[in-house]
Amino acid sequence: MAITRRTFLKRAALSGVTAATLLSGANKVAAQAVYQQEYATTIDLTKCDGCPHLDTPGCVAACRTKNQPRFPQPEKPIGDYWPQTIHEDWSDKQHITNRLTPYNWTYVQHLEVEHQGLLMEVHVPRRCMHCDNPPCSGLCPFGVNNKTPEGAVVIDTDICFGGAKCRDVCPWEIPQRQAGVGLYKEVAPKYAGGGVMYKCDMCIDLIQEGKEPACVSACPNQAITFGPKDEMRTYARSWAADNQGYIYGDQENGGTSSFYLSKIPFESINQAIKEREVDGKPGRPTMEVGVKNPLDEPENFAKAFVMAPVAGLLAAGLSVYKTMQGEEKHEDTEA
Amino acid sequence: MKILRHNLVIRFVHWITALSIFILIFTGLGQMPVYRRYNVDQIPGLGWSSDFLITLNIHYIAAAVLIFISIYYLTYLIGTRRFDILPQRGDVKESIKIFASMVGLAEEPQNSKYLAEQRLAFMVTAVSVLILILTGLIKVYKNLPGVDASVSLIFWSAMIHNLFTFILIFSIIVHLLAFLIKDNRPLVPSMFTGKIDLAYVQRRHQLWLDEPNNNKTMGKEADPSKEENLSRTAESAGYGPLDRKNISQSEIILADDVRKNIYTLIPPCTKPKKRAKINT
Repeated sequence: MAITRRTFLKRAALSGVTAATLLSGANKVAAQAVYQQEYATTIDLTKCDGCPHLDTPGCVAACRTKNQPRFPQPEKPIGDYWPQTIHEDWSDKQHITNRLTPYNWTYVQHLEVEHQGLLMEVHVPRRCMHCDNPPCSGLCPFGVNNKTPEGAVVIDTDICFGGAKCRDVCPWEIPQRQAGVGLYKEVAPKYAGGGVMYKCDMCIDLIQEGKEPACVSACPNQAITFGPKDEMRTYARSWAADNQGYIYGDQENGGTSSFYLSKIPFESINQAIKEREVDGKPGRPTMEVGVKNPLDEPENFAKAFVMAPVAGLLAAGLSVYKTMQGEEKHEDTEA
Repeated sequence: MKILRHNLVIRFVHWITALSIFILIFTGLGQMPVYRRYNVDQIPGLGWSSDFLITLNIHYIAAAVLIFISIYYLTYLIGTRRFDILPQRGDVKESIKIFASMVGLAEEPQNSKYLAEQRLAFMVTAVSVLILILTGLIKVYKNLPGVDASVSLIFWSAMIHNLFTFILIFSIIVHLLAFLIKDNRPLVPSMFTGKIDLAYVQRRHQLWLDEPNNNKTMGKEADPSKEENLSRTAESAGYGPLDRKNISQSEIILADDVRKNIYTLIPPCTKPKKRAKINT
């Protein structure tokens, strides 16, 4: 509860600062500071071998070590999501590294993909793609899942209510839920909310210190590279052109900050994921090529919001004119 | 005898607003992940309710309708100078008096077209709708591709939107509960037909009838059915049949014998007070 109140105060102070900045006319400086630099990663699937010599792939182990202090500590017993008779509790399965969980924010899919008549081994590190226009963030009913100026999509775990809507609207169902923790416990835990959602935050704290994400540094094959988004995108595209390869994440969901590079078409990789990985539960994301951003459709409706007031004004003008004309006629005949 | 209380424009605004707000509340609550959890999507015909993108699209359409009708209404009120729904000084005190009268602790004060409590309730609803529209527009804007709003703007627009949703739901419940009170019920049909019993108006809204330009208002909102009513009244008052042309030009004057429910229809020979002032 103390954390919650502090966060509210922090936000209140923050909004005050924003208002003051705008009022003092210093917003130009602030804007420059805010829109400084977006970062991205490329993940070269021709280099990733899934770390066969290790129990846990390097990136996964590094992610777990780095984020350990932030893993949920639920109080037990944990109640069900009334009237349902389920709740999502991963606290006894923290050791699991073969899927995304609240305790495992990245994992490597080990696949056998048929390509040009050959069966190829492919290893795909999976985690949040950090979308350009993230539906998870845009549709969060509490506005506590935000994209930072660095391009990282970050969930505020202090205020998250754990409704898991972000997972439902994510094309890859990335955020994972842990029950028994978070703000919902202070309100009406039986009837509303379900815990806290956890996912990769691009190691935003490290980025802000000028360092690279933990998974990038940990990769023994330099399969994951990190840098300014423009550079990463340019590199990915030129790599694909030079190697007759494919990119995943450049167009998907309207663009992301993760560029997977492969010489095998992602249609084949996705097929293999569906056959070998997907088990009907969240945490085993597919790789559908060209997946659409669910926010693209409502965007068209947004144009209606420009039209609506204009139409209202015109229609009212007509009604007022008619009413007044009726009145004038009335008065004219009087005179 | 019945008189016109709500013209067609007002009734249109009321029902379009009600419809759009109902849809907005249903689809808006659907943005909280509750319909699947509470098995609402298991109800036949409501399978779509737990699909966030379907409910979001419907929410957007209904929001555009609400914005349209709000701007339409606001412009119409200003354009035709209908301010009788806005709160006035002393409305809080008067509302308390009205509530006291319901339980027999006081005599109900004389009312104009709307009761003091109606004017206050309108203001709460209107302000809620306005804030919901503004915060909603921020929420739409920040979801457009290429727009990066600040963390605090996103947080506060979401929180204020949620808060006023519940204030609006509360004010709608109060609005509907008002019709549990028997004395308010004759007002219900007036929002469908526009008309209300004169006897009821005389008992509860005498100040409305007494308003200097009220006769004019009633005359200007003439509709054929009312003209029939008027001519019937005129006939019963011994004036003989009047032709339609004359009636539409006529002013209804509430004479002293209003208590006897007799209305005198005379051809206009006096100008409304407002007009007279301008001329002098």
